[in-house]
Amino acid sequence: MNGYAFDPCDKCEQMMQPYLDRVLTEEERIEAEEHLDGCAYCRKRYRFEAEFRRFVRLAAAEPMPAELKEKLRSLRTPL
Amino acid sequence: MSETTPESSPRQLATDARDRVRFEEEALQLSDQVYQVARRLTGSREEAEDLVQETFARAFRAWRSFEPGTNLRAWLFRILTNLNIDRGRKIQRSPDTQPLEETDYFLYNKLEESTGDGNADERRVVERLSQNDAVTALAELPHDFRDVVLLVDLADFTYSDAAQILGIPIGTVMSRLHRGRRILKRSLADTAVEDGG
Repeated sequence: MNGYAFDPCDKCEQMMQPYLDRVLTEEERIEAEEHLDGCAYCRKRYRFEAEFRRFVRLAAAEPMPAELKEKLRSLRTPL
Repeated sequence: MSETTPESSPRQLATDARDRVRFEEEALQLSDQVYQVARRLTGSREEAEDLVQETFARAFRAWRSFEPGTNLRAWLFRILTNLNIDRGRKIQRSPDTQPLEETDYFLYNKLEESTGDGNADERRVVERLSQNDAVTALAELPHDFRDVVLLVDLADFTYSDAAQILGIPIGTVMSRLHRGRRILKRSLADTAVEDGG
């Protein structure tokens, strides 16, 4: 399996999400990191993907209303 | 685990009560995380609050079926996602099966192109996206994909926990996650380019 020699960035792109999800095998992770070290194109995109995840998480986060917390406490079984 | 009956000894009743209180406290500590996902599963704050209350009411009633030492967070989220399906989330056409041409780098490439600056800092590039657009894009994801994206990307569950919570194979988690994230990026790319004029 080696499209890698011809198009390293294509391979790296496929590894990007699994790499960020930390699900690559040790061997794959080392391979991905070696590639990132040597490829400015992918490094830029790696930093973007990491930023993008933070952005989505931040955008999606909405703090729980304090009254709801109280309501949940009142659902506990009375002692 | 034995049921508490009127004949139970006072000591057993006390142990039982103590276990239950501990369970309830531990569950309540996870309520913020449950709410955050519930909020994105529903269309409004009110619906999210109802869903979370229902989740905890059911969890407190069913506390005996939780096996101590296993993953309480995953157990709670399983109740949450099941209730969300029960509450009759809109039936959808079978999820988006159109081919997605876009590659993973698609959003970045699009934003960089519209910035017209190949050297722009990645953080600056992300700042071109609006948080409101992201919330809308998440809401518009086909529900099967959204469930997985929220569990993994928002609630930080592993693929295998997400699979267990949703009762689907891990391979399905991976493919829905992959596709869900791309759909999300595609809609953000569309809105970012529209907003940019």
